[in-house]
Amino acid sequence: MRRALAMLAAVAKKEVRQTVRDRRMMALLIVAPIIQLYVFGHAVDLEVDRVPVVVVDHDGSDASRTHLARLFADGTLVEVGRAPDAGTAERALERGEAAVALVIPPGFGDDVARGRTARVQAVLDGSDPNRASVAAAAIGAYFATEGASLARARLAERAAVAGASARAPDVRVETRVLFNPRLDTAVYMVPGVAAMLLMLITTIVSAMGLAREREVGTLEQILVTPVPAAILILGKVLPFAAVGLFDFGIALAVGAFVFDMPLHGDVGVLVLSTVLYLGVTLGVGLLIATHSGTQQQAFLGGFLFMLPAALLSGIMTPIRSMPEWLQPLTLVNPLRHYAEVLRGSLLRGAGLEALAEPLAILAVMGLVVFGYASLRFRAAMMK
Amino acid sequence: MSAPVIEARALRKEFGGFVAVDDVTFEVGRGEIFGYLGANGAGKSTTIRMLCGLMAPSGGAATVAGHDVALAPMRVKGAIGYMSQRFSLYRDLDADHNLEFFGGIYGLSGKALTRAIERAIERTGLSAHRREVASSLPGGIRQRLALACALVHEPAIVFLDEPTAGVDPASRRDFWSLIRELARAGTTVFVTTHYMDEAEYCARIGLMVDGRLVALDTPRALKARYVPGTSLAISGRGLDGAMAEAAALPGVLAVEPFGARVHVRFREGALDEAAVRTIFSREGRVDRVEPVEASLEDVFLAVAGEGAKEAAA
Repeated sequence: MRRALAMLAAVAKKEVRQTVRDRRMMALLIVAPIIQLYVFGHAVDLEVDRVPVVVVDHDGSDASRTHLARLFADGTLVEVGRAPDAGTAERALERGEAAVALVIPPGFGDDVARGRTARVQAVLDGSDPNRASVAAAAIGAYFATEGASLARARLAERAAVAGASARAPDVRVETRVLFNPRLDTAVYMVPGVAAMLLMLITTIVSAMGLAREREVGTLEQILVTPVPAAILILGKVLPFAAVGLFDFGIALAVGAFVFDMPLHGDVGVLVLSTVLYLGVTLGVGLLIATHSGTQQQAFLGGFLFMLPAALLSGIMTPIRSMPEWLQPLTLVNPLRHYAEVLRGSLLRGAGLEALAEPLAILAVMGLVVFGYASLRFRAAMMK
Repeated sequence: MSAPVIEARALRKEFGGFVAVDDVTFEVGRGEIFGYLGANGAGKSTTIRMLCGLMAPSGGAATVAGHDVALAPMRVKGAIGYMSQRFSLYRDLDADHNLEFFGGIYGLSGKALTRAIERAIERTGLSAHRREVASSLPGGIRQRLALACALVHEPAIVFLDEPTAGVDPASRRDFWSLIRELARAGTTVFVTTHYMDEAEYCARIGLMVDGRLVALDTPRALKARYVPGTSLAISGRGLDGAMAEAAALPGVLAVEPFGARVHVRFREGALDEAAVRTIFSREGRVDRVEPVEASLEDVFLAVAGEGAKEAAA
């Protein structure tokens, strides 16, 4: 036991010394996450606002002017220019100067005043479907509300004339948003980005670390010592697990202070899930290293794993909107489960029972990946 | 020879259909310097890797420090030190930290580790370089540090796989005096090299040709067997023309150019210096004629030649 601890300490200490000596590595491990989280948190903003609109007002009435002003009032849509006709407006769309062309036909004000069906045409640039649907919804919602209030006013007028009271039937939907009341995407994105960063750092660091030993020849020197593979692997991985936990703390701090992310979760759940998750990512790194002969290959392997992991995690796009055959694939993605735990815990304050499933999956994944990596390690290195 | 500390019996290693080590049998005694020679690819490193527990033999058996290499590789690893031609150090760490790491993974800790490091530093004369980063050390010093790392846990046996490859001659000589001191103190040294002058330091030598151990003996006995007779070295000018004539002299076994000189080897008892002088003086100018001892290089060439002949037959 004492011997095993001495071996473990020797490996871990050496790993720390090498890392501390390597300034670029220190920067990668500690400074990069802060900057990346800050930048990505802002950049990965799925909120759509300030959609540029080019207006074609053939009507030019008071009514059209009032409605346009009110439509642009909430900032979702922004008027970027006027066009004399629909053709010119469409060319503005083609050039990317605007994403929406709003055409108000002649007689719009008249139609509204006389109670006839008034028409407004919205031409949308569908190349960014998300933006197009947000713009369409904003325009639709505005005119639907306007239409309803017009109808109510008209009905009340007629009732007054008839000397009776009349009320239009009215259905009102009241939405109350829980957990992220301002529907702030940064708050939703930060846990996801943190999970991705943690994976990037730990997977690549552990893959490159082992590949370097192999490339330089120190691994052969280690293999002629009586240190068991499990101790060697554990010793190499522990310092980076500590760095990972530290980075996780940084991520929470940046999230809370910069993005006003709520910190609802139970610290125990957060730490447990992070440890389990780091177990998987570091294990994957080792696995990649056993398949690569050089650091370059290890680095490339890390990226080949990272890219699909990030895309199939549900962080950027909801898993439910992926094609059905692709969805089961996300189940073997540690990033998906960890992001689920983080969002659940941090944003919703979900506890251990609510998150038991993803936590259990992470634990099983960690065991499988580490077990397999150790076996591969022994087989690959004994050649 | 005392009880053997390394014992290989009919050791064999195959990779696919290729036989890298074939039926190798030898013993090495305690405190002996055993040289393992052969061309690249002759099976030297494969033998060492099996003896170090890095690779399981395909056939035969070997025990190192009393442990079977196939059954108890971890015990073997704990009892030996290993240094390869690549001087596998952590170049970004200083000498002390390298030693601390290797001592640690052999299970040393606390005071025992500190003492072991001190002793390894002292033995290899590295006290002036303890805080220097390995990558900034000159080749000879770095090689000594690699040896120190292989010795830090004070193993009974060290395996040195081409430890002097790529090191300058002065450092090689220093290194070999270290190795001889080690052996005098009781450490068994198993060393491969392809510098034949270094092989002269070995108590016994095994010669590998194409995976087979074709010769095994002391340097002196090997010379007597493979390069028998007595040789004369002739120095002078214009000696080449008379070589064929010298070869026809009675009792002459071989005439070979050797640098600027010519070596003429006679069967034992057939030495005829006067005849040699006469023949070479006829064509050119003879400055000096002196007896020379056969070198291990001659042995190696003779053995490798035999192996090649066998292979052709």
